Amino acid sequence: MLRKRIIFTLIYSQGFFNQSRNFRLQKVGKLNWLEKNYKFQKIAFSLDELIVLNASKGEKNLEEFASEISKLVNDVFIPIAAGGGIRTLQDAELLFKSGADKIVLNSALKNDPDLIQELVKKYGAQSVVASIDYKNNNGINEVYINDGNLKIDETLNEYIAYVESLDIGEIYLNSIDQDGTGFGYDFETIKSVGNNIHVPLIIAGGAGNESHLLEGLKLKGVSAVATANLFNFVGDGLLIARRKIISSKENVANWEC
Amino acid sequence: MKIVIVDYGMGNIKSITSTLLFIGVDEVVLSSDYEKLRSADKLILPGVGSFGKAMAQIKSKQLDVYLKDLVVENKKPLLGICLGMQLLGMSSTEDGENQGLGFINGSVIKFDNSNLKVPHVGFNQLKVNREGKLYDGLADDPDFYFTHSYKMISSASIKQSMCDYGGEFISGFEVGNIAGVQFHPELSQNNGIKLFKNFITNY
Repeated sequence: MLRKRIIFTLIYSQGFFNQSRNFRLQKVGKLNWLEKNYKFQKIAFSLDELIVLNASKGEKNLEEFASEISKLVNDVFIPIAAGGGIRTLQDAELLFKSGADKIVLNSALKNDPDLIQELVKKYGAQSVVASIDYKNNNGINEVYINDGNLKIDETLNEYIAYVESLDIGEIYLNSIDQDGTGFGYDFETIKSVGNNIHVPLIIAGGAGNESHLLEGLKLKGVSAVATANLFNFVGDGLLIARRKIISSKENVANWEC
Repeated sequence: MKIVIVDYGMGNIKSITSTLLFIGVDEVVLSSDYEKLRSADKLILPGVGSFGKAMAQIKSKQLDVYLKDLVVENKKPLLGICLGMQLLGMSSTEDGENQGLGFINGSVIKFDNSNLKVPHVGFNQLKVNREGKLYDGLADDPDFYFTHSYKMISSASIKQSMCDYGGEFISGFEVGNIAGVQFHPELSQNNGIKLFKNFITNY
């Protein structure tokens, strides 16, 4: 049976990994800090996938970001998706060459659909993850691009349909309201959109403990749960969470021998 | 031990290379040069991308001719991964109808997405075929990481291991010196490490 996935999202900005709260970033540490406090090689064995997002404000230094990716890849035997600031085929190629298995696109979905279709054609749909950030305003889910700074006209439902029409491989759906709060995912929205999405759906924003992850995994339309919460899952946090999830018979892969 | 990864300009080479080095392979080379391919103890045919484009690249570098000589005629062990496995088959419907390398009697078709999320992404369990040599030390239903929209089917007996996603499809085959896996061992944690070790030891 196809398993559901637990994904860790690392938020990168100008040389540092960050804790994000409603898209405001707080510096936590460099890669060696991460290695030291997470024993990354070890912790990767409690994850199904890693997503690394470059959230640097303004001009993003893609070369520097790509070199961090290539360092991460060396000892981590799980898929890595990378993105943030991809605007050209060459940008995407740089990340793939640095060891990314998939790329994550956000603003380009809206601004450059031709690029998205070129990427899908060249690397296959399964290599292209569409990231969608949204915020609730008086009961309406509004979509934002440019690191959550620019609201676009389409509602969430309209935008999801548009993004799917670009033949992307997966959707990474992130609630700006819940981001970094640790209060749990935006289950209401996920339940309403989840069953109408025809590609694998990764949910993000708000997971603070393993019961949030578990609750997310149980939802029918959800393929994967993601957390970017460096603080709540520090140390053995993720490993313990995964063990609890496996012992509650949730359908996730088990390779601890 | 020297492994050459067949270079046709597509596929994530870095994670395969780092996994092979991690398990102690002395030398991992990426090349499309005949002499380099010939010098390998074993070959890996990787692949991410679309079938038609991959075959065009392979032909433009004459890799179809080289591989036929080295793998089919001279029996050098070859492991195809993901698209690399599919390319070993007869044909695919991706990018229109395209011919594959034709080393294995199998054809590649798209998953039907009417009741199924496509691509098939994530860890899924295999039904291991014990006649094969790739699964020593692994469970009968080990988890491996898949990410693909097309699947291989075959009516031939090719020591296939199977996987279920809206129906059974071929997750791997082993015919003589030629093996293929639809999943990504390099992204499958301990299970993938074991599979690579088996390929190195048993082939």
